[in-house]
Amino acid sequence: MPAPLAAGRPPRRAGRLAALGRVDRRWIFLLVGASVALPLLRPLHLPIGTSREARAYHAEVERLQPGDEMIFSFDYEPDTMAELDPMSLATLRHAFSRGVRVIALTNYAGGPGIALRILGQAASEHERQYGRDYVFLGYNPDYSATMLRMGESIRSTFPTDHFGTPSAELPLLREVDRYADIELLVTVTASALAEYWVIWAGGRFGQRIVAGNTAIQAVLIYPYYQTGQLAGFLGGLKGAAEYERLIGRDGAGVRGMDAQSVAHLLIVCFIVLGNIGYFAQRRSARAAGDAARDGEA
Amino acid sequence: MTPAGWFHLERLPTAAATLFFGALIVVFVLLARRGRPLYIRRIAGLEAVDEAVGRATEMGRPILYSAGLDPLEEVATVASINILGQVARRAGEYETRLIMPNRDPIVMTVAQEVVREAYAAVGRPDLYDPHDIYYTTQSQFGYAAAVCGTMMRERPATNFFIGHFYAESLVLAETGNATGAIQIAGTDSDSQLPFFICACDYTLIGEELYAGSVYLSREPLLLGALKGQDLAKAILLALLAAGTLLAFLGVDVRPWLGR
Amino acid sequence: MKRTGPVLLGFVIGMLMLVQHFTPDRWIAERYNNILDWKQVVFGLTLILGVVSLFLYHWRRIARREEGWRYSLLTVGGLAFMIGAAILFTPSRGPYPWMFEHVQAPMQSTLFALLAFYVASASYRAFRARNLHAALLLSAGVIVMLGRVPLGEAIGLNHISTWILDYPNLAAKRGVMIGVGLGMTATAIKIILGIERTYLGRGA
Repeated sequence: MPAPLAAGRPPRRAGRLAALGRVDRRWIFLLVGASVALPLLRPLHLPIGTSREARAYHAEVERLQPGDEMIFSFDYEPDTMAELDPMSLATLRHAFSRGVRVIALTNYAGGPGIALRILGQAASEHERQYGRDYVFLGYNPDYSATMLRMGESIRSTFPTDHFGTPSAELPLLREVDRYADIELLVTVTASALAEYWVIWAGGRFGQRIVAGNTAIQAVLIYPYYQTGQLAGFLGGLKGAAEYERLIGRDGAGVRGMDAQSVAHLLIVCFIVLGNIGYFAQRRSARAAGDAARDGEA
Repeated sequence: MTPAGWFHLERLPTAAATLFFGALIVVFVLLARRGRPLYIRRIAGLEAVDEAVGRATEMGRPILYSAGLDPLEEVATVASINILGQVARRAGEYETRLIMPNRDPIVMTVAQEVVREAYAAVGRPDLYDPHDIYYTTQSQFGYAAAVCGTMMRERPATNFFIGHFYAESLVLAETGNATGAIQIAGTDSDSQLPFFICACDYTLIGEELYAGSVYLSREPLLLGALKGQDLAKAILLALLAAGTLLAFLGVDVRPWLGR
Repeated sequence: MKRTGPVLLGFVIGMLMLVQHFTPDRWIAERYNNILDWKQVVFGLTLILGVVSLFLYHWRRIARREEGWRYSLLTVGGLAFMIGAAILFTPSRGPYPWMFEHVQAPMQSTLFALLAFYVASASYRAFRARNLHAALLLSAGVIVMLGRVPLGEAIGLNHISTWILDYPNLAAKRGVMIGVGLGMTATAIKIILGIERTYLGRGA
């Protein structure tokens, strides 16, 4: 039988277990860093399935015909580009490969730099010509006014493109001027802008929309997908990886999946350890309290 | 001209619901104006405001207030500015410094006015320093970095994160936690609620944020509007329950609604 | 008039924006578009306000040699450099895009990347199964966290994760959305009717 507890002193094993709940956060940071870095250096090649939301997103772009127009809104800044660039690039590659014409814009001040890089890369891979096959309208400071105004006239909302060329002189914009002329609107965002696109462009003007979101925002998009207000969506780096698999061209999304898997597993392990420590501490505190009461009695 | 020429008939249900909802609010505001007492339940996070401000006073350290990242046209920011007025009053009464970094210049301007008037209302206009309520940057994580830097340098005893937040919420809350501050958060951004609940001492969830200024000020007009809103929600819940029951029983109500 | 004027203007503009949603009348639609255009102009001007505020805040810290004034000097210097680069070389070429790609973008990405570490430490510290509710939250969190990555798919957690997201998550999300939506509508009605006057700078 174990020795009775001395008042106020937990048994050694309980003390070690309780210590699991008091790990210095710097060890946690170090291990998280390693869990992300190591799989990037030595890939595990874990299998990647596809979700129904990603398949729906892919199907929306796939159904577009050559010459159809798509609005692509880069609604994010450099802070989330690691998570959202892969899905932006994959979508534009898919669109250009199908001969879809793209009208790009951004609702963030830091968006133009990202948009120009991604558009340039995808367009050059598919030999697309600026002005005829794609345009970049640039940044407008007020997103709500922009989304609502585009339903009336895109050229009035953006009198010039990002480079100062009058919109009326761009061949692509001579043919389309409002949501009714656009087959599909794609928004890739780290914020609630996908909801605003759904409310204003979708709810008011009936525009068909798909969205790419960070993983945390993707959870909020589910209601709109379930009701059909969103035709499809991609959630986080996993969504980007699924889409890359669907278009048959692996990229940064697929490469990041091993690291994400290991990091998630590590966090779960820490949660389990923390709870072991918590329960051990609670048990020893209760035992110490009982021993103190017995001593008084 | 036919009705379809001057009215979007398909939006008639929305118009009717808006008018009904507006009428409910007006009725309860009128009732509140006549002095009828209206009950509002206890909200733990708001009960703790006095304690939080008092803690900062005792420790001789400032209060940090963040109104979130959204512009003034968003409801969460309006609610936050209302709560700011109440917090600023208490800070003025206790002579505690209030620091407020802002992401939006309009919010900053309004916040400066609100705080100035709050200090004047408690007879301490000399405490107001416009440089304590300042603009940082429009960049999301630039703002987060600025607020974290302020927290590490100024070591506020109390942090208020009241408004609409995005991914930077956990960065702010964890940094505040590391400085040992008591933290009261409130947001209608449900993706960030779990992070605030984990890292903060008190969290106002969703509509508790909108009720915050009403709760702290007990102003009759606002209280009446809140009660009207609550009744509208109760009616909606009843309709949802009835619809769920009918659906469960296999009754299709769409022909009744002309669809 | 100082208080009544803005409230009256708020009522007129608010009612116009409300009515335009329900009527196809051309005149109202044109006024609505005018307001949207003016909104963008005003927003642009407020950015100038923000820049001036930022400059004055840091200039004061430099002039008084307050603690950390060198960082304020860096801020003001960076601000002046980027404005100058945009004016002299345009935002599309030269030092402006270079600074964006090689300084701002990495800094912003790094700050966002910190979230991974903070999530781990916050989860470790706060996810305790103190009672039944906390245990349920913990379990759902673990299942969804693993179910959303290939590792969880390999062990079949993705189906449970999808169920959690499709049903309990959606139910809770819709409840919060309805409440928040009603709150937003109520606040908008209060602003139009002049009950809510926060935008004038007055507290509640």
